[in-house]
Amino acid sequence: MRVLNPYFLSAIALTAILFSCKKDTPEEPEEPADPSLEVHINPYFGMEDLELNQVFTTDEGYKIKFLTLKFFLEDIRSGAQFAKDAALFDFGTNGTLAFSFLGKTTDYPSLNMNLGVQSDLNHADPSLFASSSPLNIMNANDMHWDWNPGYIFVKVEAKADTLVDGIDDFDLNVILHAGLDPNLQILNFSELDWTSQGSTSYRTNLKLDMLEFLRGNGNPIDLKTEYTTHSAPGQEALTLKVMSNLKHAITKL
Amino acid sequence: MKFVLISTLLSLSFLIVSCRKDKVSFEPTPYELAVPSHFPKMNIPIDNPLTVEGVELGRKLFYEELLSGDNTQSCASCHSPAAAFSDPNQFSTGIQGIQGTRNSMALINLGWNNFFFWDGRSKTLEEQVLIPVRDQIEMHNTWTNAVTSLESRVEYRNMFFKAFGEEGIDSTKAAKALAQFLRTMISGSSKYDVMYKYENGYTLNAKEQQVFQTVSMDEWQGYSLFKSLDGADCFHCHNGALMQVLKFSNNGLDASFSDLGRGAITGNPADNGKFKVPTLRNIALSAPYMHDGRFSSLEEVVDHYSFGIQNSSTIDPLIEFAFQGGVQLNPTQRAQLIAFLNTMTDWDFVTNPAFQDPD
Repeated sequence: MRVLNPYFLSAIALTAILFSCKKDTPEEPEEPADPSLEVHINPYFGMEDLELNQVFTTDEGYKIKFLTLKFFLEDIRSGAQFAKDAALFDFGTNGTLAFSFLGKTTDYPSLNMNLGVQSDLNHADPSLFASSSPLNIMNANDMHWDWNPGYIFVKVEAKADTLVDGIDDFDLNVILHAGLDPNLQILNFSELDWTSQGSTSYRTNLKLDMLEFLRGNGNPIDLKTEYTTHSAPGQEALTLKVMSNLKHAITKL
Repeated sequence: MKFVLISTLLSLSFLIVSCRKDKVSFEPTPYELAVPSHFPKMNIPIDNPLTVEGVELGRKLFYEELLSGDNTQSCASCHSPAAAFSDPNQFSTGIQGIQGTRNSMALINLGWNNFFFWDGRSKTLEEQVLIPVRDQIEMHNTWTNAVTSLESRVEYRNMFFKAFGEEGIDSTKAAKALAQFLRTMISGSSKYDVMYKYENGYTLNAKEQQVFQTVSMDEWQGYSLFKSLDGADCFHCHNGALMQVLKFSNNGLDASFSDLGRGAITGNPADNGKFKVPTLRNIALSAPYMHDGRFSSLEEVVDHYSFGIQNSSTIDPLIEFAFQGGVQLNPTQRAQLIAFLNTMTDWDFVTNPAFQDPD
C-alpha cells in the first residue's frame, strides 16, 4: 500500500483551513431592485401653496387657517396591479409624501384607491394590524374612534373668522371629522407622470386644493354654519359633503 | 517525519483557535412581556431587546441614589410608586433644593409612547432617561461620575455583564436597562379595562366578570359622558385601551403663556402653550394635575373643563365649548365623570412587586 507524502497532506490541510477563515465570495450579481415610487399630495388654496397656520380668504371673504389635514387612502392599485394596502396622509407630520412603494413606473400608469377604509378593515380590531401598517392603532392614533366604530377617514381642522369686519379673530373652530362606511369614496388618477429623482426613486404629484374643497363643485361648505361634524347622527349631510368635496379637491398636478 | 507531522498539527490547531474571538461572554435571557389582550403590540427597539437581566438592572438603577450628584436621589424620588410613579408635589425638588417648573409625569405604559416629557423633547425612552441625571435642578450629576460610582460596586459590574453579555459599564447601557424596566411597567388591569373590553367585544375572564358586576351606574354614566360630544367631550384626546392620544395640545389653561411648552422646542408660535396629552390611567393616584400641577384634585380638573377654559390663539380646536368657557357639566354629571375617572385606578400596577425597590 502506498503512503501519501506527509508534506503534501499538510499543505492540503493548511490550505483548507486558511480558506475556511475567509468570507464566502458573493454569487452572481442580483437583479437591480425595483425603484421606490413616491406619491406626493401638494396642498394648495386656489393658486397659492398651502401651509398650515397660514391665513387664506374664502370666496365669502372669510379668513381661515388650516391646522390639520389628514386622511386615509386604502387598497391602492393600478387596475389589478397592487401598490400598497393603506396610507395615512398627514401633511403636518409627513409633509407632501402620501405614500411610497416599490415597483416599475410602467406597471403604474394610473392609480386607484379608496379615500377612507373599506368596511371589513374599518371594523377590525385596530390593535391587530401589523406594527408597520398605518391602520395599526399606534399609527392611526387620533384617526380612530372607539366611540363611533371605525376610522376617521378624513380630518380637516382649522380656525376661521367668518365676520368680514377687517379684524382678524379666529375664534371659530372648524372640526370636520368624516368617516363611516357609506361615505367611502374612490379616487382614480390616470396617465400619471413619474419623474425621476435619481436612479432609485420616482415621484408623481397630486394636488389637494382646499379652496376647491370648500367650493365643492357647486356643493359648497359654508363655514358660518357648517363647521363641525364628528360623523354623528344628525351630521350626515356635512359628513358626506366633506368626503365628496375632498374627493373632488384631489387631482393630478 | 514525525516531527513534521506534529508541527503541522500544532500549526493547524493554532490557526483554528486564532479564527475564534477571544472574549468571555454571557447570553442574557429573553424577557417575555405580558401585554394585555386589548393592547396593541409594543414596538421595542431592535438594539434594545428586553431581557430578564436587563429589566432587573433597570429596576435597580431606577431606585439607585448613586446616580445623583450627592447620592441622595433616584428616579423614584420624583416617580413614587404610591403616586402612580409620579410626584405628589406640584414641583419636584432636586438635590440642591431647587424646584423645577413642571409636575413629574406618571410613568405608565411608556412603551407605547413615541415622545417624552411634557414638551416632547425626547423621542425615545433611551434618550429620555439620560436627561434627569445631568439636569442641574434634578439629579445634577454627570454620567461620567455616575458610571464611576456604579463601576465601584461589584454587584453592578456583574449585573451589567449579565444584562449585556459583556464587561463594562457606560451611560448607553444604563439608559438601555432603565428603558427596558420602564417598558415592563404596564397598567392594563383596572376596572376601566373591564368596561373597555366589555364595550369592545372582548371575552371577560372569571375575575373580570366579577369586576364587571361591581361597575356602578354612576361609573357607566360617567363613561357615557366622557365619550359624549354633548357631555364631557373628553374622548378626542383620551381614548382607547391606552386612554391617551399621542399629541400635543393646548387645553385652555391660560390665555397667555408663561411656559411655551412644545413651542419652546419647535420654535413654532403655533405650538406655544401646547403640552403632551397624558394618559388618564391611574389619574386618581397621580395628583396634582396639568403640566404645572396647578390642580390638586380631580374636582378642580373637571371644573376647569366645565367652566374655566381660557381661549387663546393656539387652543386645541377640539376644545369645542371654549366659547362658553367649557362643557358646563352640572354637579351630578361632574360627580359621575369623576366616578368614571376613578375606574382607571389599577392597584395591581402600583403595588406590583416587580416595580418596587429591589433593595
